[in-house]
Amino acid sequence: MNTLSVKGMDTVKELYKNRSQRVIQLKKEGYPIFGYLCLYPPIEMLTALDIVPYRILGDMKEPITKADTYLPTVVCPFLRSVLDLGLKAKYEFLDGIVTAHICDVGSSMSSIWNYAIKTPFSYHLDTPHTTHETALEQAKGQMQSFKKALEKYTGKKITNQSLKKAITLHNQQRMLVRRLYELKKHDPPLVTGVETLMIIKVLQSLPVNEGNTLLTAVIQEIEERAIPPEKKSARLLVWGSIIDSTPLLDMIEGLDANIVIDDTCVGSRAFFQDVPLTPNLIDGLAKHYLADIKCPRTFNARDYYAKSRQWGTELQERFGYLGDYAKKWNINGVVLESVRYCDTHGYEVPGIKDYFSEIGLPTIYLEHDYTEGALAQLRTRMQGFLEIIN
Amino acid sequence: MIFIFFAGIDLGSTMTKVVILDDTEHICATVVEHTGAEHRKLAYKVMEEALGKAKLSLDDIAYIIATGYGRINVPFADKQLTELTCHARGVNYFFPGACTAVDIGGQDAKGLMIQNGKLLDFVMSDKCAAGTGRFLEVIAAALGITMDDLGALSAASKNRVPISSTCTIFAQQEVVNHLSKGVSVEDIVAGLHDAIASRVVRMVRRLKVEPEVVFTGGVAKNSGMVRALADNLGCPVLVPSEPLLSGAIGAAITGKEMVMKAQAEGRKLETGMRKMGETTFFQQDKV
Repeated sequence: MNTLSVKGMDTVKELYKNRSQRVIQLKKEGYPIFGYLCLYPPIEMLTALDIVPYRILGDMKEPITKADTYLPTVVCPFLRSVLDLGLKAKYEFLDGIVTAHICDVGSSMSSIWNYAIKTPFSYHLDTPHTTHETALEQAKGQMQSFKKALEKYTGKKITNQSLKKAITLHNQQRMLVRRLYELKKHDPPLVTGVETLMIIKVLQSLPVNEGNTLLTAVIQEIEERAIPPEKKSARLLVWGSIIDSTPLLDMIEGLDANIVIDDTCVGSRAFFQDVPLTPNLIDGLAKHYLADIKCPRTFNARDYYAKSRQWGTELQERFGYLGDYAKKWNINGVVLESVRYCDTHGYEVPGIKDYFSEIGLPTIYLEHDYTEGALAQLRTRMQGFLEIIN
Repeated sequence: MIFIFFAGIDLGSTMTKVVILDDTEHICATVVEHTGAEHRKLAYKVMEEALGKAKLSLDDIAYIIATGYGRINVPFADKQLTELTCHARGVNYFFPGACTAVDIGGQDAKGLMIQNGKLLDFVMSDKCAAGTGRFLEVIAAALGITMDDLGALSAASKNRVPISSTCTIFAQQEVVNHLSKGVSVEDIVAGLHDAIASRVVRMVRRLKVEPEVVFTGGVAKNSGMVRALADNLGCPVLVPSEPLLSGAIGAAITGKEMVMKAQAEGRKLETGMRKMGETTFFQQDKV
C-alpha cells in the first residue's frame, strides 16, 4: 500500500473536498472498496479481510433528480441523496455495499439499490431495534451470517487473529477521536465543530490505519496551534441526525457560539465506546453495534418489559449519557437537529427536550432539509436562541 | 435638558418599519414602507425619512438596532438583533404584563413566551406561506378584494365554510371551488381567517399560552383575524395601537437599555460605522 502523505489539517481539508480520491487510488492498487451505510455494519470484519470500508454519504450540493423515480419525496432527503448518487454512478468504484435495517426508509433504499444499481457484493444486516437478550442473540446471528457471506465472497477466512487485529486498530481510532474531543473541553475549544465534522468525515473515507496516522498528526497540530478558535458566549452540544456537510454548523459557529460536543453520526457517535475484546469476538461486536451506538433507531431503555415505567427514570436511561457530555464539556445550550422527514430522530425530540429541561439546559429544535442553501430562517431561529442564552 | 434618541429599524419581508424614541420612551417618529426589492437596498432612505420627521440628524441617535429578515442589510445600524427578541421587548412596551404573543407577518408566524420583556422561548412557522399574511394576499387577489376589506367581510359571514389550512396553493383552488358552488365571499373570508388562526394556534400551543395573548404584525390590523385568533385560542386577544411597530419599538428600547447599562457601568457603548448609503452586501455569511 503506497502511503498517504500526511500534513494534518491541510490533508483533512483536501480529502474533505474530494473524499473518494484516496480509495479510488487504493482500488487501482487492488484493494477492494466496500461502502457501508450508517454506523451499523461491523467494519472491523472488512478491515480484517483487507477490504477498505468507505462510509456512504449523500451530497447536499447535488440536486436530487434520479432518486425520485424510486422513492417518494416525503422521505429522508439524506437517503434520497444517497440513492441519487448511486443511480448517477457516483459510487461505481465500490466493490461491495453493506447496509443494515437502520430505519424503514434505509432498508427500502438498500433493496432499491440492489435492484437498480447492482454493486458486485451486497449484504443487508437485519439489526434489531431493541437491546434486550433475544435482540442481542439476533444481532450475534446476523454478525455470523455476515462473516460467512464475506468469507464466501472473498474466498478468505476471517481468523480470530485478523479480526482481533482489526478491532484493535478501530479501537485505536476511537481512542484518538476521544482525544480529539478532549481538546474541545478547553474554552475556547481548540478545534471547531466545523473542523471536527471535516475530520470525522475524512476518517470514514480512509482505511483505518491511514486514518489513525492522519488523526495523530491532526491532534498534534491542533495541540500546538498558535491561534485557537475565537472564544464565544455559547458552548453548544449538537445532537441529531446526519449532517455530512459543513454549512449548517458553519452557520451556527458564524454566530456567537462554539460547538464543543456533539452526538451525531458524522461526529462522536461511532467513536465514544470501544468494541470489547470478548473471548468470542462476535459477542463484543454484536454488543457494540447493537447497544453501544446511541442512535435513536435503537430503543435503549433498560426495563423494556416493566409494567409501570417512570418517565424520569426512562429519560435518564435513554439520555443520561447526554447529561454526562453536558457536564464534561461544560455546555450552556443544546441544538437538536434533524433532517426533514426523519421520524426516527423527530420522535426522540420531545423526550430529549424534557430531559434537558429537567437538568436546566435550554434546547432548540432545528429541522433542516439537507441542502446547503436556505439557511436564513434557521439562522434567525438560532440567533434568537443565542439571544435567550446570552 | 438634553434628550438622547434611539432608533429601531425592522426590515421585514414585506414591510420596513422605523421608530425613533427619546429617553423617556416617547415615540418621536415612525415610518412604515413596503420593503420590496429596492427598499432592501435603500433602507437608509426610510431612516432619513424618519430622521426628517423627528427633525434629527443621524448623529443625534445614540444607538440604532436593526431587526427583521433584512437586519444584516442595514449598514448604518450599530447592532443586529433577531425580531424574536425585539418583538418580545416591543410587546412589553404596549402591554407590560403580557406573557404570550403571536406575531403574524408577511412570510412567517411566530409565538413568543415573554417575561418582563425578555424572550423566554419561541416557535416559528417553517418555509411555507400558509398561516401568514402572504396567504391572505394570495386569496384576496383570487377573490378580487383588497386586504382592507377582509375584516368587515368576515364579520358579515353567517355560515363560515371550512377551508383546508395546509397549503396556500390548494386553499386557493378550494376557494375557487366554493365560489363556483355559490358560497358567499363573506363565508369564504371567514373560513380563511379561521384556517390561518387554527394553524397558528396549533403551533403556538407548543409553548405555555397565558392569557391575555398579544397579537402583533401586519396581519393583526385585520379585525377578522383578531376575532378568529381569539376564537381559536379561547381567550381574549390584545392588539397594540400600532401592531406593525412592535419589532422596531422593541429594537429602539433595547438600544436605549444597552446605552443606559453602559452609562451606569461607566463605559461608552461603541456605535457602528453608520454608513448611510445603498446596501451593497447581501451575503449572509457573517451576522
